[in-house]
Amino acid sequence: MSLLQRIKNKVRARSIHVAYVDVGSCNGCDIEVLACLAPRYDIEQYGIYVHNNPREADVLLVIGAYTPGWEEKLAMVWEKIPSPKAAIAIGNCPISGCLFNRRETFIDPPVRKHIPIAAEVPGCPPRPTEILQAILSVRDSVFFNWEAEHP
Amino acid sequence: MKRVVDVNIPLGPIHPCFKEPARLKCEAKGERIIGVEVELGYMKKGIERIMKGRPWQEVMFLAERVCGICSVIHNLVFIEAMEQISGIAVPPRAARLRVIANELDRMQSHLLANFSYCYTIEHETLGMYLLDLREQVMDELERLTGARVTCAYIIPGGVRCDLRKEEAAALLASLERMEGDLRRYTGMFENGPMIALRSRGVGILTPDAAERAHAVGPTARASGIAVDCRMNHPTYRQLGFAPVTRPDRDNFARVMVRFDEVFQSIGLIRKCLTDLPNGVVRGRGVCTAGEVRYSGEAPRGELTYFIRSDEFGRIVEIQIQTPSIMNIEACCHEMIIGSDSIADVTATFISADPCIACTER
Repeated sequence: MSLLQRIKNKVRARSIHVAYVDVGSCNGCDIEVLACLAPRYDIEQYGIYVHNNPREADVLLVIGAYTPGWEEKLAMVWEKIPSPKAAIAIGNCPISGCLFNRRETFIDPPVRKHIPIAAEVPGCPPRPTEILQAILSVRDSVFFNWEAEHP
Repeated sequence: MKRVVDVNIPLGPIHPCFKEPARLKCEAKGERIIGVEVELGYMKKGIERIMKGRPWQEVMFLAERVCGICSVIHNLVFIEAMEQISGIAVPPRAARLRVIANELDRMQSHLLANFSYCYTIEHETLGMYLLDLREQVMDELERLTGARVTCAYIIPGGVRCDLRKEEAAALLASLERMEGDLRRYTGMFENGPMIALRSRGVGILTPDAAERAHAVGPTARASGIAVDCRMNHPTYRQLGFAPVTRPDRDNFARVMVRFDEVFQSIGLIRKCLTDLPNGVVRGRGVCTAGEVRYSGEAPRGELTYFIRSDEFGRIVEIQIQTPSIMNIEACCHEMIIGSDSIADVTATFISADPCIACTER
């Protein structure tokens, strides 16, 4: 491993910028993501910063069951994020549509049809600790040695 | 009529201050805002369409997921509407436990709304204090119902589980602690000179304008209009409920009304706990055919369900009217117009506590 790669690994492990996008959820997962900011969970002690700006993000948290309003927009948001990047599906909705996925619905799950998803956190809604754990696992598995593995 | 517009500024759907996607199209003349249109449609899932033709046991969980922030009140209003249709009586202990769950939910929703406001005006310290306090409320909600969000605590004829004596004592003790903390944080908000500069006199909603836009909930009560559906609820009437209002009509008043209501909720829970009647928490009954329009007071205002069911308890027709629709109308067409700067648009929008998931369903 080159010196540059080692420095990048070290720096990147403590600096993950997060944006979240709600593509049609019930709000339950949104507020659990917000609860991660609370001093009890304190997401910033792991070097994770929530800015909600796709252009400076590394991780995109996708919440919700993909409504028609997001048809081209979600892919546009995903393209705006610079590489290396990863998307995490939060909650049951982006995985399966949960209980909104019935006859007569407007939604089009799963979200992994539309953008590549690196990790999925099931739950309706998942606890803040589980969301935190998912972001940390993506940090280690996706961003570690990224340049060496993607020449 | 031709309008002179210097610049059109779109805000959203992804914006650091918005929890949910909505797009505000602001028309500015210089720095002054002369018009705002809100563009919705990012969250439409068609919940009412899914609900039709399904048994109440399924619709109950769907109703809860209309809004994840105020899930208990959606649960409560739907179940009480079904009870009205079927003539199911609620045991007195269960009625009090419902009030406790509902008020805890209101507390966490109001604290979250005030956190969002503090975060938007960049007072992050106070925001984090409030978010920490909200976590304590969530703990109490979890102790009572078994889940943090979407807990499905209220069922026809009562509630799902009882509150044990030691749990009630723990709840009383933490209410005491939370009230002390909240008094300190409210003082910080009330006396902060910088907060007053950003909040007082910004986003004025006159009582006439509030009535024109049919504003409800804390948004209307901050303009001095005493509307609250809890005044018509039998259990709240026993507890001697009276709505909180403030006359000053601006962003500051809307946040302070929410703080006052959290204190009021603490008082209501304490009153429920001190004379909690003994007895069962689950009654008997079968959901049958009927038609009813029933309202309850959500944290954001009046929430109305219209339900028609058939003899097996299946939902034939359902319509939901959520409070945020009226509040977003009041916010965009009355409060934001005439703001002195574009920075006040987000603060004013957040101060009305819009819930896009409720609005679009």
